[in-house]
Amino acid sequence: MSSLRAALIALFAASVAMAAVMVALVVSSDHEDARTLTATLGPFIGLSFCGTGVFAWSRRPHNRFGALMTAVGFAWFLAGLAEANDPWVYTLGVYLGPLYFVLVAHMLLAFPNGRLETTAARTLLAIGYLDALFVQLPFFLLGGDITDPTNAPENAWALVDSPDSAQVFQSVSQLVAATLIAWLAVQLFQKRRIASPPQRRVMAPVLWTGLVLSGALAVAVVGQLFGSTNLIATSPSLVSLITFAALPWAFVIGLLRSRYSRAGAVGDLVERLNAQGIEGESLRDALSDALGDRSLALAFWSRGSERYVDAHGQPVDLPPATSRSRAVTEIEREAVPVAAIVHDAALLDEPGLVRAAGAAAALALENERLEAELKARVAELQVSRAKVIEVGMAERRALERNLHDGAQQRLVALSLQLGLAKTKLRDDPDVAERILDGARVELASALEELRELARGIHPAILTDRGLAPALEALASRAPVPVEIDAVPDGRMPSPVEAVAYFVVAESLTNMAKYADAEYASVRVLRENGYAVVEIEDNGIGGADPSAGSGLRGLADRLAALDGRLEVDSPLGVGTTVRARIPCA
Amino acid sequence: MVNEPVSTKVLIVDDHPTFRSTARLLLESEGFDVIGEAPDGLSAIAAAGELHPDLVLLDVNLPDLDGFDVAARITSVLGAPAVVLTSSRDSSDFGPLVHRSGARGFIPKGELSGAALTELIR
Repeated sequence: MSSLRAALIALFAASVAMAAVMVALVVSSDHEDARTLTATLGPFIGLSFCGTGVFAWSRRPHNRFGALMTAVGFAWFLAGLAEANDPWVYTLGVYLGPLYFVLVAHMLLAFPNGRLETTAARTLLAIGYLDALFVQLPFFLLGGDITDPTNAPENAWALVDSPDSAQVFQSVSQLVAATLIAWLAVQLFQKRRIASPPQRRVMAPVLWTGLVLSGALAVAVVGQLFGSTNLIATSPSLVSLITFAALPWAFVIGLLRSRYSRAGAVGDLVERLNAQGIEGESLRDALSDALGDRSLALAFWSRGSERYVDAHGQPVDLPPATSRSRAVTEIEREAVPVAAIVHDAALLDEPGLVRAAGAAAALALENERLEAELKARVAELQVSRAKVIEVGMAERRALERNLHDGAQQRLVALSLQLGLAKTKLRDDPDVAERILDGARVELASALEELRELARGIHPAILTDRGLAPALEALASRAPVPVEIDAVPDGRMPSPVEAVAYFVVAESLTNMAKYADAEYASVRVLRENGYAVVEIEDNGIGGADPSAGSGLRGLADRLAALDGRLEVDSPLGVGTTVRARIPCA
Repeated sequence: MVNEPVSTKVLIVDDHPTFRSTARLLLESEGFDVIGEAPDGLSAIAAAGELHPDLVLLDVNLPDLDGFDVAARITSVLGAPAVVLTSSRDSSDFGPLVHRSGARGFIPKGELSGAALTELIR
């Protein structure tokens, strides 16, 4: 038996003992007219609060609501000391009498999670405790009259006999109490208004009972404030007493109501799913109905992109674990994620319920997941298709620019030089010869630039001889030694060879420009249906793949083939570029 | 060349140094006086104001401003020099832009000669 359980059992035993004391006090009381009713109803109310409080405490040890409910029971028993014939005990009972009202207000405002959520609630209770324990204290010390009902003992705490002064404190205390009760009613209304539907269902019986209780108490206090009856020394009205007695049972009813209705709703959900293979929006609706949460949303696990997407395949972000209003329950099927149910955090009170509903709908969710994944895939393909077109256009622009700035300019210069040489040929043959020498250099440069450009479009050696000779040619042109460690035997599909070639070409170009490397190595391997291309150098590292348009364009080209590009470039260690290209 | 006074002062504007030097050699050999070179549009406008050339040989594709805009700005002032546009592209690539820019005409770079220039600025 856990120590908490033992302590709670002891606490309940103490409440039983206090109930027995209360019965004894009532039966022997000289000033109790309705002995039988009070001796029955009094302990019943106290034990109801203590019993349900201890039960709630044991179920949810971290929720203070159970403790508050138990405290109300004990405060009720303390108020029962006002049945005693001994003046000192009687006075103590009368003094502590209003405390349980404040504790009830505390319990109602903290319902159902045991926390006071608003500053208004905290302020109300602070004033309430102050009023109950301190504002009315001078009433007793100044010799306030507590001899109503008839035959009740005298005030045993009177230090001076000044009943008129005492009356002032009593009136202030009653006025504050009346204001607080009205404020409590307003706050309970607000609490209901801002609650989500699942929360409302659990809260309804307690909140409505609480509202009726505060109404009855308000009537009683106002009546006593303007009448002659002494509130402190008299018992609450019968209506408020009955409502008060109903409070713990309203709590139990709320609990059972939500549990049974939810269990039934999950049963309905299974039936609905079996009757008609529902999907899409109606699957969400069915789960929303079953769990009583209109805000419920579904997210589906996309195995392709390894993230959650909505029913239209668009990526979605799940609420963070720290969210107090929203919660996520992930549903798995055969240990593989299927979907996530995003729901009101109030449903976390019964985590098994959402899981049960999710499990009941797992097959339908799996179907829905497949459809969402398909849509996500289509969306991805649309994006990558657009990117491929964009990359193609950018390459054409770059090609035009290179032709214009390079070979075309050299040919223009060549044309001018030839014209100039022609004019000098007869008058000044030496100058004409020098001009023609310059023209040859210009022509050689133009040819080299055209060759480079043609290789950039598509290297002929790759088409004719395959990847290995093409990579060897690339390596031979690199400014630092490049070792080709491995290239698979035989040909791969031409799009794969082309992308692999350009990954190596771009990486070696970047290495030459930025890496300050002494050597590099290139490996192309076939692994599990992929061609893996790896280029490693011993340069300065720190390469940012998002910064250069070359690598970004390559990543887009790879994406069009369902491939991925990774760049690992720690500072001072070197750079490794790795591309994985699907290659059946 | 024979009909043009040798003192025609020319400013060459092009971002390619090879073209500038070859054009200078060509024009000087044909009796033109190349008084300056500029690699971009803004420095061309500044040089045209400072050097007061008779003729600006202006490339269409410059790194900063468009050659047509540069031509329009140079020719907008009173006593402005004649502007002749040039490019390694063909004039048909530009449609009516050459005429609208205020330039006297267009010569493809490969066909540049003193005679062609004289023909346009006569």
